[in-house]
Amino acid sequence: MGKQIDLLQGTLDMLILKAVSLGPLHGYGVLLRIQQISGEQLEIQQGSLYPALYRLEHQGWIAGEWGESDNKRKAKFYSLTTAGRRKLHAETEKWNRMTSLIAAILRTTSEEI
Amino acid sequence: MNLVARLRSWLKWIVNGRRLDREMETEIRFHIESYAAELVRKGMSQQEAMREARIEFGGIESHKDAMRAAVGIRWWDELGSDLRHGWRLFYKNPAFSAVAVLTLALGVGANTAIFSIVDAVLLRSLPYRDPDRLVRIFFNEPGVGLRDVRFSKPELDDLQTRADVFEDVSPIFEGSENLTGAGQPERLEGVNGSFSYFSMLGVTPQIGRLYGPQDFAPGFAPEVVISDGLWRRAYGADPNVLGRTLRLDNDPLTIIGVLPPGFRHPGPTISGEPEVFGAGGFSADPFPKPMRGTRILVNGIGRLKPGLTLAQAQARLTAMAAQLRYDFPADYPPQAQWTIEIQPLQETLVGKVRPMLLVLLGAVILIVFIVSLNIANLVLARASGRQQEMAVRLALGASRGRMVRQMLTESMLLSLIGGAAGIATAVGTLGFILRFVPSNIPRLNEVRIDWMVLGFALLISILTGLVFGLAPALHAAKGALSSAIREGGRGSGYSTKTGRLRDVLIVSELAFAVILMVGAGLLLRTLRDLFQENPGFNPTQVVTANIELPNPNESEADPYLDIPRRANFDRELLRRMKAIPGVELAAITEALPGTNTNPSAVGGVAIEGFAIEDRPVESSENLSAERIRISPDYFKVLQASLLRGRSFSEGDEDGKPLVAIIDESTAHKYWPSSDPLGRRVRFGRDSTKPWRTVVGIVKDIKSDGLDIDGVPHIYVSTYQDSSKRLSVVLRTSLPATLLEPQIRHEIQSIDPGLPVFGVSSMNGVLDRSLASRRFSADLVGGFAGLAVLLASIGIYGLLAYMVGQRSREIGIRMALGARRDDILRMFLRKGVALAGVGIVAGVVFSAFTASMMASLLYGVRPHDPIVFLIVPLLLLAVAALASYFPARRATNVNPMFALREV
Repeated sequence: MGKQIDLLQGTLDMLILKAVSLGPLHGYGVLLRIQQISGEQLEIQQGSLYPALYRLEHQGWIAGEWGESDNKRKAKFYSLTTAGRRKLHAETEKWNRMTSLIAAILRTTSEEI
Repeated sequence: MNLVARLRSWLKWIVNGRRLDREMETEIRFHIESYAAELVRKGMSQQEAMREARIEFGGIESHKDAMRAAVGIRWWDELGSDLRHGWRLFYKNPAFSAVAVLTLALGVGANTAIFSIVDAVLLRSLPYRDPDRLVRIFFNEPGVGLRDVRFSKPELDDLQTRADVFEDVSPIFEGSENLTGAGQPERLEGVNGSFSYFSMLGVTPQIGRLYGPQDFAPGFAPEVVISDGLWRRAYGADPNVLGRTLRLDNDPLTIIGVLPPGFRHPGPTISGEPEVFGAGGFSADPFPKPMRGTRILVNGIGRLKPGLTLAQAQARLTAMAAQLRYDFPADYPPQAQWTIEIQPLQETLVGKVRPMLLVLLGAVILIVFIVSLNIANLVLARASGRQQEMAVRLALGASRGRMVRQMLTESMLLSLIGGAAGIATAVGTLGFILRFVPSNIPRLNEVRIDWMVLGFALLISILTGLVFGLAPALHAAKGALSSAIREGGRGSGYSTKTGRLRDVLIVSELAFAVILMVGAGLLLRTLRDLFQENPGFNPTQVVTANIELPNPNESEADPYLDIPRRANFDRELLRRMKAIPGVELAAITEALPGTNTNPSAVGGVAIEGFAIEDRPVESSENLSAERIRISPDYFKVLQASLLRGRSFSEGDEDGKPLVAIIDESTAHKYWPSSDPLGRRVRFGRDSTKPWRTVVGIVKDIKSDGLDIDGVPHIYVSTYQDSSKRLSVVLRTSLPATLLEPQIRHEIQSIDPGLPVFGVSSMNGVLDRSLASRRFSADLVGGFAGLAVLLASIGIYGLLAYMVGQRSREIGIRMALGARRDDILRMFLRKGVALAGVGIVAGVVFSAFTASMMASLLYGVRPHDPIVFLIVPLLLLAVAALASYFPARRATNVNPMFALREV
């Protein structure tokens, strides 16, 4: 159980960083953008987005700032910090290495052993 | 990783918690409403959309909780809830809380008070500019066993100009002077130094100016600087005081400046603080011609040049002393090995009281430990009652670490409340407490509660909290789940785990109590021995008073200039004293027994070197003794026993052959195998001075304090060699208070300008000389008593608790045929066994701690068998008694009731 959640959490963090790397977004905006990019394929439990946002802000990877939304309402906009950009880069690298590794393992056929 | 960002974020949350909390809600609301708006766009009704959005979002509170956890301030929230919980417990158990807070307040308060004294006296630097560079300069003659001998003006100049060690040097003459001119003549403490005295200390005046090189005068300067205290008392803080004249010992002096309120002279004083400060050049009248061998200066103080270490400075001075010995062999006889030594000024001021203060601090820390062990016992007893609560918490998923934290928070809350109460008590009562502290402890006027003291008090509170919180906390964390819940609120027996922990607490409590009691026992025995010790005379029915003849700088103004004039005064004084009704006998002495504790002060009796006729000067013996001038009836008034020869007579006066009486110590030390009667001695090294013949031997009189033995004394007749500082001793059955007005009246009929001070019974004088010993003995004794009380409460509490817990077992035992005696013995054995272990451990530790107290003891060895026998026995008896009452209650358990309760 625990390991799966950790993995998911780590993925969610990465997705959030990616989402805000394209421009400042409020929490709801982050949700919409992830859904949009993923072609509505990913279902995110809405409430769990916020602890992740707070954790990322606490760690200094994203910075929150209060501003005005499209419909003229007060909303907190998150943007990527320099540290966050580095983190996103590192995480992307790691993710790519891991997926290619796992893909290679999964592609293996009996002849190759 | 990225610690700075996280710390900043933590801080932000802790400081702005409430605002950020609101923002959190705003953010969530924005999310839900935005989503709802989208659902409405997709065709849902407003109400339904909101409902749907809320469901989709999930539990708001739990998400908020997760958000707070995400920023790492959950522990902060938990602390808050623990504190609230602790607070509720705190006043739901008023009896427990009151006992804990009161004992803690007592412990922490006592610690705060004692530490504030330690801090002021030992820890804080002297209140001068760069105090580390101030040193006391000693001139020693180790070859003849003399330390801190006087020095001459040329030697002072050598220090200043030749040594290349000091920025400034000053001798210090401390003494009392008679302030006259207004009403009752007053006796003031005064200091005379060199013109660089104030620049050496780095003082700036409150008004006016201080001495500087421009004031230089070869003799004494005609100006004076006064203290803030005198300025307020005698001049009503008048800013126009500058330029006014006051008379000190008949000399008119112009006031040029007033010192700031906080200024204190850095030195021991005869009584009270110096209030008048003069300066002199020490090279012309009233000083003798500045010759290298004319050693008249005392108490050298210097400021080291910057950047010079003590060792470097000492090395240079040692080298200079060697060079001087070589250059002036006539002034520095080789056998004396004259040399110069420096010591940090702070060390010379407070070094003597350090052992006493450290013992007090140690005692008071032990007390607070015992207090916290006692509270630990209470908390533990309560924890046993809370086992069910703990078990439920554990069952509901609390981690053990979390439980330890909660218990510790509760203890800390308690200890901080107790600590705050203690600090408040100490702050409120410090002035009162200080009145009991003997005034011969230096720097007492600097005692105050500052940040250092508060920090220490806080530290002590936290430490006690840890001590009494940790045991129950660990115990709570170990609590066995199922059994506790099953058992319900009633523990069925004395569970071994808690039991062992409580045993350890009791054992350590007793061990600490033993240490305190042994310390107190040794100090009290010392004190008792000192009081019982024969001081060499009979102090009862003796009244004393002090007079100091003026010492004007202008010799024409001195009515007591030479020996005949002083002898006349002495005779007149004695005649008038004897005429007072009720006075049987009267005599004069230069030094009252038990008071000569500050020999370097002017007028104090210093150890002097002397020579014995027909003995080679090169003899390796250390010929030195204290010279005390007395009138003929002195030994008769004190009822001291003259062992051989005769007392002084009225005929031993100026112009007649010089005579001396030696005491037993002198006789044993310098005439171990021959008869000193009829032999001749001479003070100083001046071979032109006449010899004086030893005419009598008297039993030792403890002139230097009851706790100082074996100092050789040579008494001389006041009619042949008198002093300006004198005390009258009267044998009378009347109390001092009754005689005081008459003594004062008679003395001032001779000279209205003479102040009379310190009128007191001889017993009072001796009592005061032991004041600081009595203070420390009483205090440690009080602490020891408290420790015994706390330890017996601890034992009592433990056994009473055990009896309660084991009543069922007792019932079964009795039902199976155990007799009441067996039950009684069972519990008694438990209490006494615990006490025994604690006492043995305490005795072992005491063997170490007692050796550390050796310097405070007199006439008692640190491992005094009586103390080490009585203390354990006494404690064992107390422990047995404390165990007896709960044990007897155990025998009253009714087996039927106990069994039915199951």
